Amino acid sequence: MLNVKEMLEELNASPYEEIEIKTPHTGVIDFVGLNPGDRVSGPSGKWLERPGTLLANLTREKNKKPICATQKGQVMDIRSELEGKFVEAGERLLTIRHFLSKEEVIGRILKKALHLFHAPERAKYYFVPEIDAKIKAGGEQSVKVREGLDMFIVSRMKRETPLSYSGPEGMIYAVYFQQGDNVDGGQPLIGVCPESQLSLIQDVVNRVQGEWEERD
Amino acid sequence: MAQYTLLIANRGEIAMRIIRACVKLGHDFVCVYTAADVHSGHVRLARELGGPDRLFRISSYQDPSEMLAVADASGATAVHPGYGFFAEDFRFARRVVERKRPLIFIGPSWTLVRDLGDKINTKRIARAHGVPTIPGSDRPIYDEMEAVELAQTIFAFQHDQGIAEGCVLVKASAGGGGMGIEEVYDLDTFRSVYRRIRNYAKRNLSDEGVLIEQRIFDFNHLEVQVVAERGGKNAVHLGTRNCSVQSLGRQKRIEVAPGFDPSSLTYAFDAAGVLDAITRHSVNMSLQVGYDNVGTWEWIVTPRGEPFLMEVNTRIQVENGVSGITSRIKGRTVCGREDCQNGVDVISEQIRLGLGEPLGYTQQDVSFAGVGIEYRILAEDPLDRFTPCLGRIEAFGWRSEPWLQVFTQVPSMSLGDQPYEIPMDFDPNLALGIVWGESLEEACRRGADFLNGLVLQGTDTRDEPLRTNVAFLLGRTQTLLHF
Repeated sequence: MLNVKEMLEELNASPYEEIEIKTPHTGVIDFVGLNPGDRVSGPSGKWLERPGTLLANLTREKNKKPICATQKGQVMDIRSELEGKFVEAGERLLTIRHFLSKEEVIGRILKKALHLFHAPERAKYYFVPEIDAKIKAGGEQSVKVREGLDMFIVSRMKRETPLSYSGPEGMIYAVYFQQGDNVDGGQPLIGVCPESQLSLIQDVVNRVQGEWEERD
Repeated sequence: MAQYTLLIANRGEIAMRIIRACVKLGHDFVCVYTAADVHSGHVRLARELGGPDRLFRISSYQDPSEMLAVADASGATAVHPGYGFFAEDFRFARRVVERKRPLIFIGPSWTLVRDLGDKINTKRIARAHGVPTIPGSDRPIYDEMEAVELAQTIFAFQHDQGIAEGCVLVKASAGGGGMGIEEVYDLDTFRSVYRRIRNYAKRNLSDEGVLIEQRIFDFNHLEVQVVAERGGKNAVHLGTRNCSVQSLGRQKRIEVAPGFDPSSLTYAFDAAGVLDAITRHSVNMSLQVGYDNVGTWEWIVTPRGEPFLMEVNTRIQVENGVSGITSRIKGRTVCGREDCQNGVDVISEQIRLGLGEPLGYTQQDVSFAGVGIEYRILAEDPLDRFTPCLGRIEAFGWRSEPWLQVFTQVPSMSLGDQPYEIPMDFDPNLALGIVWGESLEEACRRGADFLNGLVLQGTDTRDEPLRTNVAFLLGRTQTLLHF
């Protein structure tokens, strides 16, 4: 049985996530005058169309690429020694300390309550076009799944194979992967909410809404 | 000789071969790698031979801006694309040479990459120069009457050739990857298939153009390795190779040089004459179009011994080594080293010529010795339709022999060493093993020795496919004698 109180206490002890901001590609880095401790905001708007606070500019082949905050939080540990230098792809620039929101806390607790369908092996995963279209149109919680449903396309070494869902029938409650990203074997792909778990999930949502204090 | 710095815009074994060629020719190099390739052999070799400042971590091997940013930051003066990625991308080749700080593209001129990179265009160019191509259209057909007439001609041609059951291939000209292709065995069904393919092409490819060609069964897939200098005035060939042993996905598995071996095998046609014809046509066409680097002319040879040009690969190919191992220039290797018994290093030649050096030899200076066989060791499961398999390699090694070359990005290791994780973002190529023998029989025997002595052990789940793969190559080695 899921102990929501215990999990909330555990999360309260360390109520934040540290997000490392890395360079997406090579280029010359230019920090925009940020200092440790500065507060930054993440993307906003209905479609997250407004980017987060500008953290740095990365210039490659005369093209300036803005690097923006992906979450709201507090800037820590800026690598100012990289200012004006050519950096490689994947170089850590700074860290954002992001305090967990109610939705994120719910997501973390539900990961223990939902039926998780895991990636069978390391590969890139995509939804089949029909499911992808449904999710795009109505959100992830609009798709009902059942045993044997062709759900994913597994892509590795330039070959693609289909993958069927196995597990209890229910609605997709959460999607844990980005299409086209590498997913390690054993990592959850989706969280499915069987009907029998609906009351428990409602309870988790209510408890977190009432008890979790957002700090940011 | 001027010293250049080459940016190696590639990975794995080809990057390693380019690094070694740069060192041999006295040029500096810069290497790139992605996060998935941290443990790849090319990263280790670059660090070993060039130091850490010769290595740049990038986000992708397929991002041209990334490559050129590294070229500028490192002071590179030339770019070697290897094979795959940018090797046949004329836009990239043009961008390399036409910029504020122009670089040298180690490959043919971008206009040649553009013109010969398109199969239909190549067919047209080849026909214009009198090179035989597969009977059929050399441009997309949009008119049904014209299509029917063409199909009639192809069926009649096959009938005249004594082919009992003629077959015509109808394919969407803008298609690829096996989509929008159908075979037709008689003229009565041709119209309906033509209409179906045309509708498919219109719906999916926004271009209803259709190609109509003779379908050739049981063919030999031959290649001619051409080497030409800048300016396109001088060109020679470094022999032929037979790439007929392929897996289901048309991935080449075993390549043999020369393409036919009439000294030890009996053919139903004049094999020596075919080899002579395809090398002559390839070199002539190369000179006529002004081809100016290494390239491969790919041929289909029918069971009756008719050669048809299929396409031109305007780049170095994976299997260049098997031509190199059987070629000699002025009786010795180009590098001139006494200890180098392995024929011509085609990659060094490519770099030398790409940097504008003259060829320095003629066809009369090129001789051929023995038979070479290249085996591709892949992380695929032959028992599961050659599906790629991921996992770890825990032991990998082979017995060193003077007749053997192995090119691999996988480190040699024994059980207990740091295992090698097969990256999933790239082709499943693990290693190339090239053996040489005085005769086909000896080469096959040595090939079997190499495969039998190969230590290749994966984790529990992946061990079997790796073993089956080697067994598949061994099995096909036995049948090579019956080519």
